Amino acid sequence: MTATETHAHDHPDFLQHHWDTPVQQFEAGKMGMWLFLATEVLLFGGLFVAYAVWRGNHPDMFRFGSRYLNTTMGAINTAVLIASSLTMAAAVTMAQRNKRGALIILLSLTLAGAITFLVIKYFEYTHKFREGWYPGVMLYERPAHAESWIDDYPTPRLAGEGSSPVVPAAFAGGPVAEPTTVPPPAVAPAGVDAAALAEMDGIAADHDEHGRTHLLHPAQDPDRPANAHMFFNIYFMMTGLHGIHVTAGVFMLSWLIWGAARGRFTSAYFTPVDLGGLYWHIVDLIWIFLFPLFYLI
Amino acid sequence: MTTIDATNPVPEPPAYAAATDNYLTHTRGFMSWAGTLDHKRIGVMYLVSVLSAFFLAGMFGMLVRTELMRPGQDFLSQDQYNMLFTLHGAIMVFLVIIPSVPASLGNFVLPIMLGAKDVAFPRLNLFSYYLWLIGAICAISSIFFGGVDTGWTLYVPYSTHGTTMGGVIPVAAAIFILGFSSIFTGLNFIVTIHRLRPPGMTWFKMPLFLWSIYATGILQVMATPVIGITVVLLIVERAFGIGIFDPSLGGDPILFQHFFWFYSHPAVYIMILPAMGIISELIAVHSHRHIFGYRFIAFSSVAIAIFSFLVWGHHMFLSSQSPLMNVVFSAITFSVAIPSAVKVFNWLATLYKGSITLNTPMLYALSFLFMFAIAGLTGLHLGTLATDIHLHDTYFVVAHFHYTMLGSALIGMIGGLHHWWPKITGRMYSEFWGRIACGLVFVGFNVTFFTQFVLGSLGMPRRYHDYSGPGWSPDTTALFFKYHLVSTIGSYIMALGFFLTAAYLIHSLFRGRKAPANPWGGRSLEWQCASPPPHDNFSEPPHVGDCYDFSVLEWDEAEQGYHWRHDLPREPGEA
Amino acid sequence: MIASGLNSMLPALAAMTATIRPGSIFGMPEQASTIAPHVDLLYDIITWISVFFFVLIVGVMGYFVIRYRRTSHVAYTDGPTHNTPLEVTWTVIPLILVIAIFFIGLQGYVHMTTPPENSYEIQVTGQRWFWTFNYPNGASETNVLHVPVGRPVKLVMRSDDVIHSVFIPAFRVKQDVVPGRRTQLWFEATRTGDFDLFCTEYCGTQHSQMVGRVLVYEPDEFEVVIEEAARWIDKVLDAKLHLAGTLLFNQCASCHTLDGSKLIAPSFKETYDLFVNGDTRTLADGTTVTVNEQYIRNSILDPLKEVVDTYPSSMPPGIGTQLGDRKVEAMVRFIMRLDETAPGGQLKEVTRAELAELGAEPEGE
Repeated sequence: MTATETHAHDHPDFLQHHWDTPVQQFEAGKMGMWLFLATEVLLFGGLFVAYAVWRGNHPDMFRFGSRYLNTTMGAINTAVLIASSLTMAAAVTMAQRNKRGALIILLSLTLAGAITFLVIKYFEYTHKFREGWYPGVMLYERPAHAESWIDDYPTPRLAGEGSSPVVPAAFAGGPVAEPTTVPPPAVAPAGVDAAALAEMDGIAADHDEHGRTHLLHPAQDPDRPANAHMFFNIYFMMTGLHGIHVTAGVFMLSWLIWGAARGRFTSAYFTPVDLGGLYWHIVDLIWIFLFPLFYLI
Repeated sequence: MTTIDATNPVPEPPAYAAATDNYLTHTRGFMSWAGTLDHKRIGVMYLVSVLSAFFLAGMFGMLVRTELMRPGQDFLSQDQYNMLFTLHGAIMVFLVIIPSVPASLGNFVLPIMLGAKDVAFPRLNLFSYYLWLIGAICAISSIFFGGVDTGWTLYVPYSTHGTTMGGVIPVAAAIFILGFSSIFTGLNFIVTIHRLRPPGMTWFKMPLFLWSIYATGILQVMATPVIGITVVLLIVERAFGIGIFDPSLGGDPILFQHFFWFYSHPAVYIMILPAMGIISELIAVHSHRHIFGYRFIAFSSVAIAIFSFLVWGHHMFLSSQSPLMNVVFSAITFSVAIPSAVKVFNWLATLYKGSITLNTPMLYALSFLFMFAIAGLTGLHLGTLATDIHLHDTYFVVAHFHYTMLGSALIGMIGGLHHWWPKITGRMYSEFWGRIACGLVFVGFNVTFFTQFVLGSLGMPRRYHDYSGPGWSPDTTALFFKYHLVSTIGSYIMALGFFLTAAYLIHSLFRGRKAPANPWGGRSLEWQCASPPPHDNFSEPPHVGDCYDFSVLEWDEAEQGYHWRHDLPREPGEA
Repeated sequence: MIASGLNSMLPALAAMTATIRPGSIFGMPEQASTIAPHVDLLYDIITWISVFFFVLIVGVMGYFVIRYRRTSHVAYTDGPTHNTPLEVTWTVIPLILVIAIFFIGLQGYVHMTTPPENSYEIQVTGQRWFWTFNYPNGASETNVLHVPVGRPVKLVMRSDDVIHSVFIPAFRVKQDVVPGRRTQLWFEATRTGDFDLFCTEYCGTQHSQMVGRVLVYEPDEFEVVIEEAARWIDKVLDAKLHLAGTLLFNQCASCHTLDGSKLIAPSFKETYDLFVNGDTRTLADGTTVTVNEQYIRNSILDPLKEVVDTYPSSMPPGIGTQLGDRKVEAMVRFIMRLDETAPGGQLKEVTRAELAELGAEPEGE
């Protein structure tokens, strides 16, 4: 912090009363943001660990499921987010240089990127729903008497492997995790009945018209591993949480544009733009990990 | 010592004189509290809220103990009992102990001790208070969704589809919200300590309480997001069945336990570290003696924070994780014992050649030493693999963590509350009743929980509604009955002590003697401002010095408090 | 205050330790397995170390508090503020101690997790809220674990619903039972007797009643017992098969009652009344079904198919296979003739021997 700025009478509006200098306030804000981003990384970290464990246990499920993701759309989204990161970084520079017009344009471009991403994601999601992939088995089958999601639901899924006790051969030394064997659903994700399948066939035919004939309909694919639909649970979980962050980013960017239009941000005070930029970069960064993990490998 | 020269020039009141305007009288009305950005008011709001939650959960605990007093069902059905111990645990952990010291006392004391006017982000501070409030409402609303009977640990698959009670989702949501409340508090304090230390307040001049709050902040920020994502997964699992933790869908219930304890073990230190910080202050101030081994105590806080991330697996020795992992976790677990032991020995050495007053805060500090010693030493039984197999999930564990959580963390908090009560309220409480209540709590606590060590060794499993029934041998029932009876009687004595504490503290608000600025002879900066402190904390720039050098103080009979020595030129106001 | 608190604790502690059964002076239960003495020895060592340090800490604290008690309002006393050699000492000594404890504990643990090759294997299934023990000879017992003395026994455990945990205090063994996994524990009993078996992982409403007995026999007696356990149901006369249900009922007792009171599943009394009157009952999906013999049998064999309204469907589906045809038949007849098998809601007392004998007709037939 420089000596000239510590002057007591030089207490600008944006400087809160408990700070001595704008630099002190800025640095504290930046440190707070970095700590917050650390918590964001840890939040997603839990999901990445879950992904790793899940994939380690069921590699076939992931190989199968990722074929049903649209790599083109994913790649477009990746490009859109990277471009929006670039415009965001440029926006911070424009704020530092007091260029209000450029700031507003660059922030708006970033916002456009965020919205484009969400629109593409919307089409991807609805496509999955039409194919019959949902986030969670409860959406496939719901017991008749469970009237709301908060009700208890029965536990047929816990039926396990029947009652004949089978002892795994490899029992060396200590408790050994037995690879869970789950009876494969006959033809479809649990609960999808014949009528639903017929309906899906219609959709599959629809796909054909759009040139997507390279894949069988998931419900008819002979290579389908047991519980293939479980891949989509973690896919929806991770991209969904990321999507919530992008949505938060849309509100944040709108607020920044509004503030920029009112001339709040100057070379003396651009903290919100800078912190918003940090947030936006971390959201992009997480997607850059999600894209290959789900679409490519 | 020009700390706060950015303030508007104010007329200089005489040093230590009770300021005409303090933070309590600065503004008035409900909204001046509900919308306050003053860390002191937020601290007081936390204090009131946390203590209310403590009494609620304490009552649940009393009901649980009363049911267990004798074999057979007395007045609680099995489901009611299961619900009560779950809420007792969840409220005590997430609503009381985790925010108890940092968010209430820490919020009040930390900026003043540091010599700052406020925390780094006052609005975030208020926001985290409201998050706490929403979390509390969410947790307690679970009762109206059918209750929750999973235990505070929320183990899957019981919590996802084993229980018929609908309160699991509200409680999980509450944990998520309270988690972010805790994260924002920790984040705020870390940044405050980094960026708002006034010139002269170097890292090694900070009171040890601040070191412990700093270490706690790191844990809050780094561990809590993991429980956040875990409960989100739990909610989604229960509501939609995503299958991450569900063995019948290929998921892994042990993964949940790993996630849960990855947070919940560090959370133990989120609870105990601030109490340790308080004890460092109490012992030094009430012995009027420079703290012994300042750097060792400071670094041991940081060491505990780091080690605590590496030991979560010791909660899972019997969960069917691999034996190799058990061995590794057991080994690292023992390493946490060392910094804790170092702290205890340094506190003892601080007493050496001191001038020890046995007033209420000090009695709590000594109780802390007594009970923390037991808590730490019985941790050895549980960290050792062969003995843990027998003791795991028995009353031995219940006794051990009550010695840690209640006997150490909360006793430390209550000691700190008595220590800073004059500063917070500007009133002195009755020393006589304070000592009596402390004695009751001490005796009651030990009778309640020491008994449970024996009960656990004898094999009484935890979370049991009853210890008689068709499958039970009458001998076992008779054996357990003796100890349960003693334990329940102890808990009544303890409850009496807490009620007495509440009574004389509330009484002091109205009838208590006006507190001097420095009743105990503390040297850290909060004792350099008036009681209660003015809105901006310091009417004078405080003297940053060695906060354990008490030689600059002297007793003033008229004021019934301590003064800066008149023969020293550094008297505030004269400088 | 502290000192007086301590004094008040000591007689209480002495009184407590005096009443404890042999095993350890610090309150371990009786020893009945080969590893129990090892565990108790380790427990005693750690406890003695703890007592030593506790007395040291509290003693020093008490001494200082009395010795340096304040007499006047001194603001400051002089004393050492640090002493690095001392710090190092009290860091290193506990470190060495805990390393030692760790290695002793490790040895015991390795022993406890490595079952001998020739262990006698028993399959254990945990369900809410009872244990089923399946023996190599086909015997299946509920909540009673028979084991021979002097022979290593390995329990191979599975759960059909939530996590449970097997705990036998007298043997000092415990292991979680996790759905989707097999876990195991082993022990070797050293004396005959009747010991407690607890579930120690919280599993819901009746967790505290998920308690079994461990019965330890001499080897030859053990053979007889499990042989009897495997074959008693076959020996039951057809005419008395309904009474065999009284011996099987403890599996059902955690959810079903005999006197019409409500637990989490329909009372057998309710089913019986409907059956006698030929009434129907409403199912969860809104349809109704006539309560007849076929319905009762189906409810056992496929319990999740026709779930009675207002009850959660929580009955383990594998239970029919587990029981075997004859036991299922016994249970069906048990419910159909509830007025004889449980008059007034009280289970009729019969023994396995009575059921196999023609002569000893239970009264009331």
